[in-house]
Amino acid sequence: MTTAAPRIELIGLTRRLPSGERLLTILDRIDLSIAAGEFVAVLGPSGSGKSTLLALMAGLDRPTSGEVRLDGSAIQDLSEDALALLRRDKIGFVFQSFQLLGNLTARENVLLPLELAGRPEAGARADALLSTVGLAERGHHYPSQLSGGEQQRVALARAFGTRPPILLADEPTGNLDRATGKIVLDTLEQLRIESGTTLVLVTHDPDVARLADRRIHLVDGRIDREERTVAENVP
Amino acid sequence: MRPSLALTLMARESRGSAAKVLFFLACLSVGVAAVVAVAGLSGGIDRGLRREARTLLAGDVAVRSAKPIPQAVVAQVSTFLAAHPGSRSAELYEMVTVVAVPREGGQVASALVELKAVGPGWPFYGEVKTEPPRPLDELLAENGVLVAPDLARKLDLTEGSRLDVGGHACTVRGQILSEPDKLGVGIDLGPRLLMSRAGLAATGLETFGSRIDRKILIKLPDDATAKTAEDFEKAIEAELKPDSGIRVETYVDAQPGLRAGFRNATRFLGLVALVSLVLGGIGVAETVRAWLASRLDAIAVLKCLGLRPREVVALYAGETALLGLLGSLVGAALGTAILAIAPKLLADILPAVPIPAFSASAILRGLLLGTGTAVLFSIAPLSSLRLVPPLRVLRRDAEPLEASKVARLAVALVLIAGVFGAAWIQSGSPKLATGFAGGMIAAAAILAGAAWATTRLVERAARGRLRVTLRHGLAAVARPGAGTLPAITALGLGVLVVVGMLLVQRGLTASLKADRPDEAPNLFLVDMQTGQWPKAEAILRSQGAQSIRTVPIVTARLASIDGVTAADLAARRGDRGRGRWIFTREQNLTWMKELPKDNEIVAGALWSDPKTNEISIEQDFAQDLGAKLGSKMVFDVQGVPIEMTVTSLRKVGWRSFGINFFLVVEPGVLDDAPQRRVAAARVPTGSEQVVQDRIAAELPNVVVLRVREIIEKVAKLLDRIGLAIRILGGFAIAAGIAILAGAVGASASRRGREVALLKTLGATRAGVVGTFSVEFALLGLVAGVIGTVGGGILAWAVITKGMELPWTWRPAILLLSPIGAVILSVLAGIAASTSALRKRPIEVLRAE
Repeated sequence: MTTAAPRIELIGLTRRLPSGERLLTILDRIDLSIAAGEFVAVLGPSGSGKSTLLALMAGLDRPTSGEVRLDGSAIQDLSEDALALLRRDKIGFVFQSFQLLGNLTARENVLLPLELAGRPEAGARADALLSTVGLAERGHHYPSQLSGGEQQRVALARAFGTRPPILLADEPTGNLDRATGKIVLDTLEQLRIESGTTLVLVTHDPDVARLADRRIHLVDGRIDREERTVAENVP
Repeated sequence: MRPSLALTLMARESRGSAAKVLFFLACLSVGVAAVVAVAGLSGGIDRGLRREARTLLAGDVAVRSAKPIPQAVVAQVSTFLAAHPGSRSAELYEMVTVVAVPREGGQVASALVELKAVGPGWPFYGEVKTEPPRPLDELLAENGVLVAPDLARKLDLTEGSRLDVGGHACTVRGQILSEPDKLGVGIDLGPRLLMSRAGLAATGLETFGSRIDRKILIKLPDDATAKTAEDFEKAIEAELKPDSGIRVETYVDAQPGLRAGFRNATRFLGLVALVSLVLGGIGVAETVRAWLASRLDAIAVLKCLGLRPREVVALYAGETALLGLLGSLVGAALGTAILAIAPKLLADILPAVPIPAFSASAILRGLLLGTGTAVLFSIAPLSSLRLVPPLRVLRRDAEPLEASKVARLAVALVLIAGVFGAAWIQSGSPKLATGFAGGMIAAAAILAGAAWATTRLVERAARGRLRVTLRHGLAAVARPGAGTLPAITALGLGVLVVVGMLLVQRGLTASLKADRPDEAPNLFLVDMQTGQWPKAEAILRSQGAQSIRTVPIVTARLASIDGVTAADLAARRGDRGRGRWIFTREQNLTWMKELPKDNEIVAGALWSDPKTNEISIEQDFAQDLGAKLGSKMVFDVQGVPIEMTVTSLRKVGWRSFGINFFLVVEPGVLDDAPQRRVAAARVPTGSEQVVQDRIAAELPNVVVLRVREIIEKVAKLLDRIGLAIRILGGFAIAAGIAILAGAVGASASRRGREVALLKTLGATRAGVVGTFSVEFALLGLVAGVIGTVGGGILAWAVITKGMELPWTWRPAILLLSPIGAVILSVLAGIAASTSALRKRPIEVLRAE
């Protein structure tokens, strides 16, 4: 019986960066496998390499050594063009600072990935997503006219627009108050379940991480421990 | 990415960028306006001359000669007329002469005129406007003449007045207001006098040696084609000797010499206009750089969302091109408006042909060059978009993607090639284009170097002891991202162009008006018969004339040099025009025992070989002819071949204004040849008119040329030409100012924060203005000094090496130009900082 390749697989992943005359090891021989549809939270103190891990998974950065595989295919040596197409088709993003384009309305921000991917009926899909995130009436507003929570919900709608197999979220509630953050997380979860998306979420908030199927703790660039919601602790 | 999506994204991207759009328009429109105006003028003149060719020729064909037209040619014309029913011919003679009006007490009042004598039928095309408006034949019958309004005013002539032409009494029948074949370009030696051909014959002015431009005008039958005209031209030319001095021109040729002259002039002006456009390009590059710097986060997001690097570049390049097109459209409209008024402003130096304001080809050229410039100068910042790391979405300090050295080199080469290409389009000459591109790059490099050095110097200068206004102003110049380099480069280039052009034009004018030696003549007598000299001399002496000099002139044609005929020598030259003309034209020979002071023997010895007829040649003329010491030259002197040997070469000081000749023959060789005289003298100021009046009365065929008046006319023409050039140079300054203002505007938000902070800390508005003024003044000073020095070097090279004139220092221009640049820079900078200066601290700090 053949098993499907993991959605995301990291093999001996290492990333070093020059710091003055030294080389700083940000990630050190990370091995990680994430199945399709899994919700994995990555936790760790500041400087533990969480965002770097996310960046390598998305092809935003290249590893010093090791492999990044998405659905069995290595991506670390792809060209910038190929990586852009990969992100267009397979990966959605949610950022701590929302990263909406300020000169586009909320609706246009949601439309953008759909237009880039050439999806039919992009307008209808964008309207449906805005409705799902509770912003159907705010589509014509610019990001500067929306609150932080509203902006992040627009970002969620944008991220799920093309129904990407993978969604990467970097501290999505980091700039929000608790109540707003909860709304955002609930929306994220709702969209994830609807789409069956594999979600990797970086957070420093244990309460947020508790929502995940699996929690990876990073310390000094290494996986310190792993926890599953229904599995034993792995030292 | 689909084109429709790209356009959608471009439209969205341009939101909230009014300042950027305005600056684009300002940068490009100035340069495009200059390009369109010059191209429109050039094309308009060329097309106008072609369209009005028949009118300007006053016929379909003209047979032209400075000597009496041979009977054989006259017969050929008659044969042609007979063979082409419906065709006609008319004579047209033009010359410069002095006319006189008898006054009481035997006195006369005289004036130099440009006389035109026309046969029945003239003009075959176009209209003559006269006052009174009666048929021309009627007005000119029985020694009737028409005078220009200027002449009527000068000599107080009315209808019925007597006017002596060549001593022959004529009657003024009215005024000539316009002639269809008057080109209106260049200098008029005198106002117009129109008379009939028969009237001229009666005056006795047509004597041996008279300088008359003779034409037979031919009108072809109405159904004749251009081929008929050209066939006739070829038939006449086939029968002519190469050195006959007769030219045949058809309306198809359409004033080739004049068109070529204007083409050369507008080629030069086109390059001056291109400078403004190149400066606009520098401004565009800075705008794009600043704009893209503000969009880095957005670009990283776009790459994150799946836009490929080349799609990102294409998106912003497309936006740049569209903005470039918009700026070019504004510039084209401006250029068209300038073209509507230019002919009126420059009437003295443009031919009298209608020049339409709207020129599709000029507008197209402006759009192409403007949009091309916008894209070309944006290539460097646009290509760096490929290097924006998408990782920036997670980490703002992410390293840019690696740049290829080959790519950087390619960008630089494309830029240079683009400037060269634009210069080639403007000048039509790869050689000029190379010189232009090289010069621009060198000047820009020097200015950029000066800007860099200024920044470094100011950075390191001990500012601690300076007053706070000065200290902060200087610090602003050295700040990274201050836009110092492009501002200084652009403004400096503008100053260089304007100062360079101004110095050249002033140098030319001054050279004309330069203090001549005390003994330099201010009056020339030409078209004088030998027997008339004693009386002319007596008149001159009676008026206190000094430095009187007279020489004989014998006209001859060059037959051969060292056994090679002039025809063969001309043919070997290959090109039409001056190269051949030097062999085929009529040569003026003179003789004298001793050379005047302004002649210096540089090779050989004067009259050193008693065994041969000797000739002395001016050294440059000898080089043009290909003659050297020992060369045997044969001249056809009124039908008699005479061989002479070149025994000396001379250097001539032409600026002495004395009577000088390229060819001086040994005395005794040409004594018996038909000859006339020319004389020069210096008469006291105020006596010139008296001399002219008396000569007109007693020697009516002698033409008196007054040097001062001619120099003033030439100087006035040069001033007008200089005006046109300075207007174009002004565009360059305007472009430089626009860039400075744009650089200031691009940093508006930073300046606003600065102003808010300074005001919070207690600075007054005047203090802040002072700080900004120091910054802009330093930029203007560096740009002004370097630009002035560069312009001075350019002008020196053009005047001393190009025109071989002496260089004169002009301290006023050299001093005032940098000061002007400082003032302009401060005014423009403060004006562009107005919104920042108005910011209240709370507005800015709240927004933070």
